[in-house]
Order: sequence, then C-alpha cells, then structure tokens
Amino acid sequence: MKRQVPLALCFLFGIVMILTQFVPHKYVQALYKEFIDWGLIISPFALVLAVITLIQTHTTRVRRRTEHWQYSFLVFAGMIIMVCVGVPFGEQDSVFVWLYDNVQVPMDATMFSLLAFFIASAAFRAFRARSFEATLLLVTAMIVMLGNIPIGDLVWNKVMSWTPWADGASGARQWILDVLNSAARRGIILGVSLGVISQSIRIILGIERSYLGGGD
Amino acid sequence: MIEIIGIWVAAFLTLCIYSFLYRDNPFYRFAEHLFVGISVGYGIVIAMHQGIIPLAWVPLSEAMSALWTVITGQATPETINALWGLVKIIPIAIGLLFFARLSPRHTWLIRYPIAILIGFGAGIAIPNELQANIFAQTRGTIAPFAAINAGTLSAWDIFGTILIVIGVICTLIYFFFSMEHRGAISWLSKVGIAFLMVGFGAAFGNTVMGRLALMIHRVGFLIKDWLGTIF
Repeated sequence: MKRQVPLALCFLFGIVMILTQFVPHKYVQALYKEFIDWGLIISPFALVLAVITLIQTHTTRVRRRTEHWQYSFLVFAGMIIMVCVGVPFGEQDSVFVWLYDNVQVPMDATMFSLLAFFIASAAFRAFRARSFEATLLLVTAMIVMLGNIPIGDLVWNKVMSWTPWADGASGARQWILDVLNSAARRGIILGVSLGVISQSIRIILGIERSYLGGGD
Repeated sequence: MIEIIGIWVAAFLTLCIYSFLYRDNPFYRFAEHLFVGISVGYGIVIAMHQGIIPLAWVPLSEAMSALWTVITGQATPETINALWGLVKIIPIAIGLLFFARLSPRHTWLIRYPIAILIGFGAGIAIPNELQANIFAQTRGTIAPFAAINAGTLSAWDIFGTILIVIGVICTLIYFFFSMEHRGAISWLSKVGIAFLMVGFGAAFGNTVMGRLALMIHRVGFLIKDWLGTIF
C-alpha cells in the first residue's frame, strides 16, 4: 500500500501517457488531453505545499528571533498583497499589473543584472589560459562578446581583416554559434535526451524508486 | 501621478538591490525579502488563474449545477454532458494528498501524487525527447548534406557542415563511457572536449553580454526615467 501502489500508479500513468501519444483516435486523444489537464490541476497543489513550507520556515525564524527575523514580515507582506489583489480580481487587474510592472519586474531585472558584476569577477579568475581547453574557452568567449558590441567589428576589421568573415567580429561570432557551438550543443542534447529516455524507462518500470523516499 | 509613483518605487528597489555591490545591508535585505514574497504571491495567482480555476473549479462548478438539474428533473443533453466535469474531483483529491506531508503519521500518502506526476512526466518525456531532440537534432545534422548533393552550398558552408558532423560525433564519443578512452577513441574524445569548450565559451560570452544588457537597461531606466521625473 505504501510503496507498491505508488509504483503501480507511476507505471500506469507512464504507460498511458506513452500510448496515448501514438494512437491518433479521437477518444484516446481526449483521454490524453484529460490527463494533461490532470497534471496541470495536481501541480499547483505542490506549489501550495511549498508556500506552506516557506511560511513555516519564516514563522519559525520570527518565533526564534533568529538573525534578520524582522525581514520575514516583508515576505509575508509581499505574498499577502499579491494574493489578496490577484486571486479575487484576476491577473489583469490594474493594481496587480501595477505591482508586477513596478515592483516585481524591476527587482527581477536588477537581480539578474547584478550578476553582471559577479560574472565579470568570475571571468577574471576563470579566463586564464592555463591549458589548451581553457584557451579555447577564453578565445571563444572573447569573440562572442566582441561580436555583440559595435566596436567589436571595428577592432576586428582593423586587426583581423585577413579572416574569412566579412562582417568582422559579429560574423565570426555568428559562425561560432552556428557551427562549433551547435555541434557541441547537439552532442550534449543527444546525450541528455538518451539519458532522459533511459531514466524515464527505469522510472516507469519501477527500477528507479528514489522519488519514493526512505521508510516503508 | 500613479505612473510617477511606480517609477519612484521601481527606482528605489533598483537602488536597494544595487547597494549590495557595496556590501550586504538593510536596504538590500529589504528588497530581497520583498522580492521573494512578491514572486511567491505572483506564482500563486498565476497557478490559481491559469491552473486550478479554469481546469478544475469552472468544470466542477458547472458539473455541480448540472447535477442539480438532473436531481430536480430538468436535465437537458448539455447538462448531462457537463456532468463529465465531476471527473475533476479525482485530480483535486490526488492533489490534496500533497498536504499529507503536514501530518507525520500520513506523510507516506504524498507518494501517490508524486508517483503520478513522475509517471506523467516520464510518459510524456519518452516520445517528446525522441521526436523533438533525437530525431530533430540528427536530421538537422545530416540534412545539409542533401544541399551539398544538390550543389547549393558554398565551399565554406560545406566545411561548416562537415565540421558540425565531426563535432557531434566527437562530443558523443566523449560522453560514451561504455568503453575505455584509449588510442583513437581518446583522440576523438579530446576533439569532443575542444568542441565542448568552444560551446561553453560561447554560452559564457552570451550570458555575460545578456547580463550586461540587463544592467545597461536598468541604468538607462535610472538615468532616463527616474532622473527624468526630477530634472
């Protein structure tokens, strides 16, 4: 009951999802769509559980007065405001859109832009031509970065005019992305896909059971 | 007026986050925690309005109304059809099992929704990975040879096409651990590493430029939009 039933359910839903994608009959396709909807209905409950866990974590922080516990109220405030505005009035509500445009989007963009500074310092440490592979990484990253800025073409055409790319650094960048990078990416994608398929088969057949966790 | 308030709020939060470049401080922590709360709240709203309400709540409430018409003897073929919405009780009940996690005695019940979602994911992944990645990527790698055969590619493009095939094969050989990497395999694997390094370098370069573009956008916002409201 505690382990065998979940394994059987996993097998059943896995096999049904595979078979329904290969049978074009309208009833089978209706079943496929229904099951997709089931997945979309079940998933938000996991999100709610995650939110409950987040609330529990911050409540514990407040109760124990751990360092910076006062900021936990901001988490609650942000969450409550968005939910109180968004759930009853919908995602198109003007207040909800205002909060999204003027609070969430600017903070999201700034958080990611902050990484520009840290990635620059990481690059300074990583970009040392200590081996052939590191040199390749360094040269490629430099060309791609140069190809992204207008001055890159100017510099490239002055210094590297003998290369076959008429557009300068942007041409070299595009060739690297289209040929060398796509070859590496295709290799990775093929490898990852084969891994995903083999892991999925192991899960459906019940060979891989780590998602059930420990205990009986 | 409301637009100007929005610009000031956005500018204040932007400066709060950038203050982290100096060091960790109360302004940064304020923005950081607010960001977490706002993002979680946004996620809940989207999950409700794009998942639970249209897929579960609406069909279920329509089915309940239809059930009432059946009970009162006013059923029509449309209302009978709407009764199918009662099926949505099953995924809702499965989803509610997630909350068994909150009761130590019934924690094991959470395995049911997890197993079903993982079964779903695995079942969907097998045909999709085959079609979208393995077949499509293989076709993308060898399809240009048809153009070579037709004589429509330049010598430079033919060189690129052959290079892609070599790159894909060597990268796959690098990831093939079922045999020892010795002799010719070792050399091919080293060529694969070279292609991978170029790929990682390109990804790194693009990431750096993407982040810089975001930073330029934020600084542009502060200079043009925010300072524009002052001067």
